[in-house]
Amino acid sequence: MKQLLPIFLLIVVLAAGPSGRAETDAEVQARKTALDLAGAFTNDGFKTRDGHWCGTVKPNDHALVAVNLYAGNEYWFSAGAAEPSTKIAVNVYDENGNQVPTDTHNAGDKAAAGFSPANSGQYFVSIDLLEGQAGSFCLVYSYK
Amino acid sequence: MICSMRLSVISLAGVIFAATSAESGRLPTDQLEKAVRSDSISIPTPAELFAALEKPAKTNWSSQYRGPMPMTYRNRAQIALNLGGLIADGFIAVEAKDSQQVKNIGSDIIKLAKALGVSESLLTRGNSINEFAEHNEWDTLNEELEATQNEVKASMQSHSDQDLVILVSVGGWIRGTQVVTGVIMQNYDERSAKVLRQPALVKLMQSKVNEISPELRNEPLVKVVSQELTDIEKLVSFPPGKVPTVDEVRKVNEAVGKVMQKIESKTTAK
Repeated sequence: MKQLLPIFLLIVVLAAGPSGRAETDAEVQARKTALDLAGAFTNDGFKTRDGHWCGTVKPNDHALVAVNLYAGNEYWFSAGAAEPSTKIAVNVYDENGNQVPTDTHNAGDKAAAGFSPANSGQYFVSIDLLEGQAGSFCLVYSYK
Repeated sequence: MICSMRLSVISLAGVIFAATSAESGRLPTDQLEKAVRSDSISIPTPAELFAALEKPAKTNWSSQYRGPMPMTYRNRAQIALNLGGLIADGFIAVEAKDSQQVKNIGSDIIKLAKALGVSESLLTRGNSINEFAEHNEWDTLNEELEATQNEVKASMQSHSDQDLVILVSVGGWIRGTQVVTGVIMQNYDERSAKVLRQPALVKLMQSKVNEISPELRNEPLVKVVSQELTDIEKLVSFPPGKVPTVDEVRKVNEAVGKVMQKIESKTTAK
């Protein structure tokens, strides 16, 4: 039970996280999906950051967030979507907008991209809606 | 609920597969400029910085401890900046696996947070930090410190102290960078030095500081921090692939050390 306490605390804190606005039920669902996926990477020693980014994405469009990463760390960016969005993908771009090769995991309403940056600095993570209608998504990331 | 979450994590781990994406696309500059930049995901935590630093060689974290600091600041901006620095100190103590130091810092974090009038529920966090430190649960302590930082920020937002949130992040980054540059100078390693390239991060923090209310922005300490961030941005703007030299690391260390001194000083703020 004690081992599960941090997970429980994480959920409680995320529910009250400093997002600046109330989240919709769909965003909460999308965040749960993203956290479920990120949880898989903890088996490999990744720590999930206690922060997230939720929003909406339209068909054939993407949502983009800037992140600042450190060379030497490995990262996984995990995203979850809520209905009516049914298939998403996660892609990473460097500070000049060039797509970065990543390991990927795509499974319908959840997707992840992982890589080890050669240089520290700013990167961009995009959430692409591949199938379904405009809907909510949530992104979390893990590092080790 | 927790059981089902655990099951789902395990099943995901079982079916996960990895493929490699091809490098195929490019995003235009105007899209990059419009990208969302938020405190909760665009500004890394001290723990991420320390994780990268520790890869090449064992780090002597306890050599970076600092002496006790005043707990009687009256200026809210100064309290927020110092709170961020203290949280970074907490991560250092966790890296050093020093349970007494974690407990001392945890207690100081709660004192400063209470001075800002943040939620009483933080007291529970303080108890958790003590308990985890008592049982040497270092990974959990990292999560707990991060959660504490977020709870402080969430509480600030709910008390209409949104402007103080970025100051907590700035204080944490400055103290974290002071420690990291100190460690690199002690035992220079090119792989460690690469973590210092962060021009966009410093620019982001400075732009967020510039967005806060004019009243707070015009406070002497906030003005000093903002001006110093401009100089620090230049010092951490290495071209991609360029490894900072020992001398360049020293310059960053001196610059962040100077700001940290002003943040700690009881005479800087009104």
